[in-house]
Amino acid sequence: MAARRRLKRVAASQSGFLSFKSPSDPTSSVGSRRKRVNKNKKKNWNKYSDVNDVDEFLEDVRHQERTTGGLLSEKADDSLFFLDLGQPEKPQPLAETPQADEGRKRKGKASRPLRIDLILKPDSLVPPPKDILAYQQPNAKKLRRIAEKAERLAAKGVVPRKQKRLLNRRPIDRTVKKAVAEANNNPDRDYYDIWGQEPKVSADPWYLQQTGKKLVKRPEKLNEKPSVLPAVEVIAPGGSYNPDFFSHQALLQEAHQVEVQKKKQEDKLERQLAINKEDKATEETNLREQVEGLVEEENDDEELAPSKEDDEAALAAIAVTQKKSEKQIKKEKAEKLKEQQRLTSRRQTERQQQLFQLRSIKASIRQQEEKTKSKQMQRRIKQEAQKAQPRRLGKLKFQAPDLDVQLSDELAGSLRQLKPEGSILKDRFKSFQKRNLIEPRERAKFKRKLKVKYVEKRAFREIT
Amino acid sequence: MGGLQKKKYERGSATNYITRNRARKKLMLSLPDFRRLCILKGIYPHEPKHKKKVNKGSTAPRTFYLLKDIRFLLHEPIVSKFREYKIFVRKLRRAYGKTEWSAVERLKENKPAYKLDHIVKERYPTFIDALRDIDDALCMGFLFSTFARTGKCHVQTIQLCRRLTVEWMNYVIASRALRKVFLSIKGIYYQAEVMGQLITWLVPYQFSHDHPTDVDYRVMATFTELYTTLLGFVNFRLYQSLNLVYPPKLDSKAESELKEDDEEDYAMNSESYTEKLSALSSSLARVVSSVEEEDAKLDEFPDEGEDMEKMEAREKEQKQLETQKKIFEGLKFFINREVPRESLAFVIRCFGGQVSWDKSVCIGSTYDVTDETITHQIVDRPNVDKQYMNRYYIQPQWVYDCVNAKIRLPVEDYFLGVNLPPHLSPFVEEKEGDYVPPEKLKIMALQRGEKLAQQDEEEEEEEEEEEDENEEEEDDEEEAEEKNLKKMEEQRSQGKSLQVKVTPGKVKVENPARLEQEEKAEEKRLAIMMMKKKEKYLYDKIMFGKKRKVREVNKLAAKRKAHDDAEKAKKKKARK
Repeated sequence: MAARRRLKRVAASQSGFLSFKSPSDPTSSVGSRRKRVNKNKKKNWNKYSDVNDVDEFLEDVRHQERTTGGLLSEKADDSLFFLDLGQPEKPQPLAETPQADEGRKRKGKASRPLRIDLILKPDSLVPPPKDILAYQQPNAKKLRRIAEKAERLAAKGVVPRKQKRLLNRRPIDRTVKKAVAEANNNPDRDYYDIWGQEPKVSADPWYLQQTGKKLVKRPEKLNEKPSVLPAVEVIAPGGSYNPDFFSHQALLQEAHQVEVQKKKQEDKLERQLAINKEDKATEETNLREQVEGLVEEENDDEELAPSKEDDEAALAAIAVTQKKSEKQIKKEKAEKLKEQQRLTSRRQTERQQQLFQLRSIKASIRQQEEKTKSKQMQRRIKQEAQKAQPRRLGKLKFQAPDLDVQLSDELAGSLRQLKPEGSILKDRFKSFQKRNLIEPRERAKFKRKLKVKYVEKRAFREIT
Repeated sequence: MGGLQKKKYERGSATNYITRNRARKKLMLSLPDFRRLCILKGIYPHEPKHKKKVNKGSTAPRTFYLLKDIRFLLHEPIVSKFREYKIFVRKLRRAYGKTEWSAVERLKENKPAYKLDHIVKERYPTFIDALRDIDDALCMGFLFSTFARTGKCHVQTIQLCRRLTVEWMNYVIASRALRKVFLSIKGIYYQAEVMGQLITWLVPYQFSHDHPTDVDYRVMATFTELYTTLLGFVNFRLYQSLNLVYPPKLDSKAESELKEDDEEDYAMNSESYTEKLSALSSSLARVVSSVEEEDAKLDEFPDEGEDMEKMEAREKEQKQLETQKKIFEGLKFFINREVPRESLAFVIRCFGGQVSWDKSVCIGSTYDVTDETITHQIVDRPNVDKQYMNRYYIQPQWVYDCVNAKIRLPVEDYFLGVNLPPHLSPFVEEKEGDYVPPEKLKIMALQRGEKLAQQDEEEEEEEEEEEDENEEEEDDEEEAEEKNLKKMEEQRSQGKSLQVKVTPGKVKVENPARLEQEEKAEEKRLAIMMMKKKEKYLYDKIMFGKKRKVREVNKLAAKRKAHDDAEKAKKKKARK
């Protein structure tokens, strides 16, 4: 605003400034016929009024301001002109300057601005406009009033609400941290007497139960072990690092038996999978297959003939069933009745006879009972044996681990040279499986989600 | 007529079981979490009797659980912890993905964790229950504590296992509870008797690990998680029962002794105390510094219904146990560096011996090789450069064999470079009439206090062995000709000690005894005559079995003799 105002003032003071309306330019009026335009539209004003001279003038003013820091016309004469006194004496300043230069060089070579800085330095003498907003405070009036009020209240001794609230707040104890849950495998964790005293339950049991805070009682049945096997099965005496000859042999024998059994199984499978020699194709069968249907067989007619006979026989059978006379039916009925009577009478006599067979019947009953008893016994024994067996708990059956055995030449002479056999980790793992604590599993296989596409590279293809 | 049609598989066993996947869905857990929960809570899969009924007509093999078990699991507070952990992992992964490190920090600080204390209490309502199940816990603890800290499982778990097992070993030492040790090709089996419970565990040899690939480490780690908690509580209780300080502290006297200037060489300052504890070389501090082992005698109630014989037998057993506990008392051992230090130190200290080792082997050595009072030095190499006159140089097997034999065995068989006698398994208990290897017979003879003339010459010993065998044969012959019932009677009256020879001292007493025996035999014969046919048949069968056993034993003994002879001949040849 201020700048514009100044421009106006400057323009008014300039003698060369022409008002808008005056037909100033003789060239325009002479050169072409003046186009008539409505001047009641802003657009037309913008379009058809000639502002070159104004622009030029303004440019000139700006130039003056830039280079001299103001309008030349306003400058005092002293600042524009100087008295020419002729050539100054050279040697004197020259003699002075080297000393000064040296001193300056010594002192502050760093203080001299760099050339690049000089280039980049703005060469305009117009000072940058002040940012007024930077000095202004928004809501200054309001804030001032509030501050005044606060001062007044403070003088009275009234504490503002915010501060009062802060003062009233309960102090937080920063030192007490929330109890950090300790990891279960913390090596420095502490233990206590868990079986010592029952913790006292102060709250209402009903409340605890309903809110799920009470632990559910463990059913007794869950404390039974799923197998009767001991947790640690000690290796056979032959597994000693320095075994007795016979027990070592016995262990080797056992291991041998296991291997033999395995081999047998494998052989059996192989035998079952083997190709039957008769099923193999020979030249003869090949030929027969190729020729099949081409060579006419002569017994076709013969086959057709008996089929006719069969049909006739079937028809006859139907006819016979239809032809049953009343007499025949009666006769059959009587026979049936007679047979029934005979059977009933026989049953009756048998029952009567049983009275005299009481002893043998009793004996047979006793026999049967004994049989069931022995069967029960066997079943019970079997069940007992089953308890020590690994159960089928999943897809896979339990595979007994290989027996840990050292052959006679592998046995070490002393404890120092002993080479331990087998892995205890595996032994423990298998033991858990054997005792039905976990189901036998296979390691999950890596499954590729996307198919791999094989492409022969061109360079490779060229070679092959 | 009519009524609703019964649908299949809506009653009976089909409703009692639930498949694993359905159980998992019901609990809203992932399969690994479900598996972990089942292990922790002690819920195991179940094989139904009629699979087809349970599996709704299909015979596909599946894993079944009892529905009631799963319902029980629904109440477990840990389930929610598992879910929280799942969310935690998800958030953490997201934070990592977005490289929001402050969020990662914050999340890690609030990592959800759970405790298994209540589960231990629930699964083992009494202390004895827990003790009965401690075998597994010990095995897993010892196994995990030997793992390398390379990321197969959490380092913290390994440290915890090590701490707990060391505590356990210290307890066994303090209570002198060890009974049997067996060096097998797999590892070392120990058996201890704690509060009347026989507890067996297996310790792997050091540095013997290859990591098998067909073992599910996650499952094993879960078991270990439960068992460490269990073992910790059991340890606490056991320490309390002995008036020991828990967590274990070294005795003040021992502590001052062990104070050394160069502790930093062994371990960091923070760890040196636990290392000293695990060295097993010094005793532990007690809550009330008691005056050395008050001799608590068992109260005697002679007028109770028990027989005097039983009482006497028990007393004898007790006495034997007492002597067994002290077999190494007063001995001073020095362990050479090539010998498994921890196992030997544990065993020796369990039976009252003093033990030390070279300073460079481990922390906690109490005396030097040069100590003149050392009685036994355990060496496992062919020869030693500098030998001291007043100590035995023995192989490590001597210690273990002594423990198993319950007496101090003669050291001659275990000298440096000597061919060792076989290391017999103490877990084998021979029944009457079983084959007993001659080495064991020898040990049994020693146990009964029969002195074998101890001479240094080997041949003498061989002769003795032969003698032993001869006696054995005599026994065998006797048994072979035992068609007469008298023998049976003797067996019954004398029990186990049949296979061993009868001492000549008893001859004088024989007459009245013999009369009595004859009388008894007569009675028995009469009893047999009076037997029913059925019983007689059974009796004959039993007798036949016994005879067969005797025959087998004879065969084995003969074989052994042949083997020994061959060996001897070979030796003689070699000598020539």
